[in-house]
Amino acid sequence: MIKITNLEKYYRTEEVETVALNKLSFEVKEGEFVAVMGPSGCGKSTLLNIVGLLDDPDGGSFLFNGIEVAGFNERKRADLRKHNIGFVFQSFNLIDELTVFENVELPLIYTGVKAADRKVRVEEVLDKMQIMHRRNHYPQQLSGGQQQRVAVARAVVNNPKLILADEPTGNLDSSNGNEVMQLLTDLNEQGTTIIMVTHSEHDAKYSHRIIRMLDGQTVTENILV
Amino acid sequence: MFKNYIIVAWRNLLKNKTFSLLNIVGLAVGLACFILITMYVMDELSYDKHNEKAERIYRINSDIRFGGNDLRLAVCSDPMGATLKKDYPQVEQFVRIYNSNGSKMLKKGTAFIEETKVAHADSTIFDVFTLPMIAGNPKTALSEPNTVVISKSAAEKYFGTVDAIGKGIEVNDEQHTVYKVTAVIKDMPQNAHFNYDFIFSMDNVEYGWGNFLSHNFQTYVLLQPGTDYKAFNKNFKQVIDKYILPQAKQLMQINSMEDFARTGNKLEYSLMPMLDIHLYSDRFPELGVNSSIQYVYIFSAVALFILLIACVNFMNLSTARSSNRAKEVGIRKVLGTGKKLLIGQFLTESTLMVFIGLLIAIGLVWLSIGYFNNIAGKTLGITMLLKPGYLLFLLLIPVVTGVLAGLYPAFFLSSFQPIAVLKGRTGKAFSRSNFRSALVIFQFFTSIVLIISTIVVFKQLNFIQNAKIGFNKDQMLIVNGTWALNNNADAFRNEVAKMSGVKASSFAGYLPVSNSSRNDNTFSTEAVMNEKNGFNMQVWNVDYDYIPVMGMEVLKGRNFSKEYGSDSTALIINETAAKMLGFDDPVGKKLYTLVGNDNELVSYTIVAVVKNFNYESLRKNVGPLSMRLGYNKWATAFKVSATDVTALLKNIETKWKSMAPDMPFSYQFLDDSFDNMYRAEQRIGKVALSFALLAIFIACLGLFGLAAYMAEQRTKEIGVRKVLGASVTSITTLLSKDFVKLVCIASLIAFPVAWWAMSTWLRDFAYRVSISWWVFGLAGFVALLIAVLTVSSHAIKAALTNPVKSLRNE
Repeated sequence: MIKITNLEKYYRTEEVETVALNKLSFEVKEGEFVAVMGPSGCGKSTLLNIVGLLDDPDGGSFLFNGIEVAGFNERKRADLRKHNIGFVFQSFNLIDELTVFENVELPLIYTGVKAADRKVRVEEVLDKMQIMHRRNHYPQQLSGGQQQRVAVARAVVNNPKLILADEPTGNLDSSNGNEVMQLLTDLNEQGTTIIMVTHSEHDAKYSHRIIRMLDGQTVTENILV
Repeated sequence: MFKNYIIVAWRNLLKNKTFSLLNIVGLAVGLACFILITMYVMDELSYDKHNEKAERIYRINSDIRFGGNDLRLAVCSDPMGATLKKDYPQVEQFVRIYNSNGSKMLKKGTAFIEETKVAHADSTIFDVFTLPMIAGNPKTALSEPNTVVISKSAAEKYFGTVDAIGKGIEVNDEQHTVYKVTAVIKDMPQNAHFNYDFIFSMDNVEYGWGNFLSHNFQTYVLLQPGTDYKAFNKNFKQVIDKYILPQAKQLMQINSMEDFARTGNKLEYSLMPMLDIHLYSDRFPELGVNSSIQYVYIFSAVALFILLIACVNFMNLSTARSSNRAKEVGIRKVLGTGKKLLIGQFLTESTLMVFIGLLIAIGLVWLSIGYFNNIAGKTLGITMLLKPGYLLFLLLIPVVTGVLAGLYPAFFLSSFQPIAVLKGRTGKAFSRSNFRSALVIFQFFTSIVLIISTIVVFKQLNFIQNAKIGFNKDQMLIVNGTWALNNNADAFRNEVAKMSGVKASSFAGYLPVSNSSRNDNTFSTEAVMNEKNGFNMQVWNVDYDYIPVMGMEVLKGRNFSKEYGSDSTALIINETAAKMLGFDDPVGKKLYTLVGNDNELVSYTIVAVVKNFNYESLRKNVGPLSMRLGYNKWATAFKVSATDVTALLKNIETKWKSMAPDMPFSYQFLDDSFDNMYRAEQRIGKVALSFALLAIFIACLGLFGLAAYMAEQRTKEIGVRKVLGASVTSITTLLSKDFVKLVCIASLIAFPVAWWAMSTWLRDFAYRVSISWWVFGLAGFVALLIAVLTVSSHAIKAALTNPVKSLRNE
């Protein structure tokens, strides 16, 4: 599903050029659950942004479902992104002014789903995440674990082929963390590809494979399954 | 401590340059408007106050209704002043001012110059009004005939020196009277309800003295200190019974004032404080152009609102960027700074900001005062700001405004809880503050009211321009002062009428515009005049050509004609007069009027009814009017076809110079004179437009800053939405939506207020436009458009930002 070859990304400030990704290559097959690990500043988030089509690489090739997307403009990337990729963030990134229902509904609005269909699909996914009873609450009224469940619901409501999770349990206690990891595992078992950046060896164990990064390169790959 | 405040305030100002700039520019423009308008208002309120006895001076007003025609006069009869002084000890002194036709031809060197700042007055003028003398004796200055008191400017103009006592000035009257200068006074101030360069002796006025029934003299009385003028007004009843009724009995068979009143007539006199004349008097004839207290109120309100808009900007921007300052507040609080000290600090900042704004504002006032004088019709000088009272006021502005604008931000910021803000929980409270929404609504409310007012004023002006006024004012050249040509007047008229480009001509001493000659006479429908059949009506002397040349329409009957020998006693009346008389067919009916010094009753036959034409401002309904044959050669009207008006004027002037070499050639176009009647409205239009634009500008500055901070506040949300697939359009809409909502609410509040305000203003016009719905639509749309344009630049910028950037700081 994803084939990355010699991917490069630089960050330039006024004087210094920092290499974030240095000829990075790897591949993720459909249905895989991959964990990306490494110390702070090793380029994990940059990689996730590029894979998530939020950012453009400076060099190398990035095949998404067999299509070369490196060099896509913002509009094309956004179009591809909203139909294929779901995001789960460490700090949930729910919109405070919207209710649980409205937060989850958002991606459907942006992909142009009709209101009646949206209602069915949002309710379905909220039910699945067991937060249906909180549908009219605002994010501040929920616990961290509940907020992340909403975020996961929002990530999957569009039935994306790929879910990108950036430290999904970083702001949660261990029991809530485990719940979220279980959710991701269930999604993976239903066929969704998952790439997860994490610092936690415990969380990484839920994945099939761990890619370890250092200074913008992959160092090792552990196959867990 | 205070020094530390100033230093911190100054550094903060420099640190946030955009913010400071938006704030200071907004404040400076707001303050400049405020200062200009307060200067205007203070000037309006200062009229006639230079008179030492100002509080004790009153003018006698007359209110007359005779035969259904109302007259509100600023003049009374010639013996009234003296009578009051003789009979009532409360009256310390009186003075009459007489300026029958408003101008005189005075000889300077070999030629005559038309002077308009002229009047005749009693010698007691110096006892009543304060007119400081440079030379001469106020006791004797005007006590003899053929004497004149002139101003310093006039002395310099005519004699090149203020040392003019004893010198002579020749006036182009029938006797070519030479007046002796007996005193030179300082120039009269601009802020007085009359302003003269030449005051001639009253003894030179030729008049049928002692007539209580003719009202021609502006009469002022000086009351003893402590006299209640309202109580004094009750004495006029006695005066009427004792002096006026006997004359009325003799002339019109009026037997008692009760009978007179019973038939719907009225004769009332009252004192009006001189200090009220400029702002409250709208009578006929006034000695100068008066203003209205209404405009003082409107201007004051506009000044206050613009200042408030500027203050609101400050509050909005300060609270909006509070998240940036929250950390500073947290640290200061942790270090032990109390709430009071923080409030002090923030107030110092706002005051400093206002002070800088004030300095710029004074510069702006200096730059714009010429323009302002031009549109407001004033001669205000920047030096007015240096008067001690005003200087104090100026210094108070930054303090009051600083506190006004700074108080809310100060309390808002200083109430942050240190732990919360240091943990980064600055709360969402200020991104969607209701208070701030209210402030934005207020700004747009004011702007929209101003926009609507501007549109309505211009609509009314346009209406006046194109109103069917019953005569043709276009391409009508009026040559003034043709009476001075004496026997040559006819020759001049005939010669000019022959020139190419001149279509028709008529002597036209009476013109259908304000400030032209008027002649009000008493008529009756029966040969014996009494209170039941008597009424007042304008009667104009016109020639055979007047009605066709002026483009007036004869509805019934016929114009004066040389074919009828009897037309010297023919009368043409207007529709109002016809309606008032109540005849089914007025043509052929007889009317009677008093003529000549013997007050002989003469009969006239109505030969036609003309369509009503507006001979006064459209503020007034058309009153009863009649025309009879006569030759008033005061001015001559020429209907021209404008191919080369400049050349034509040159030809006419040459002709004039050949017939009257020592007389000035003066002309006007009737449509210009017509426009002059509405100068006050044109001013209000321009002023409203200027301030509407400025108010919107200031409001937009605030909105611009606010939108910037709102976008900043919502950076993360925008990032999330973009990650989820939101387009630039949807983000821009999202960010603009809130402001659009506020502008809509502001419109809904502004519409009824503006409707009420403008309906009130329009009520002053007897002929007026209606306020149609599109005015509101347009104003709302303009406000909305401006708001969207202001906000969307930020919104688009925010929408275009790569979400990676906004989500990175986790």
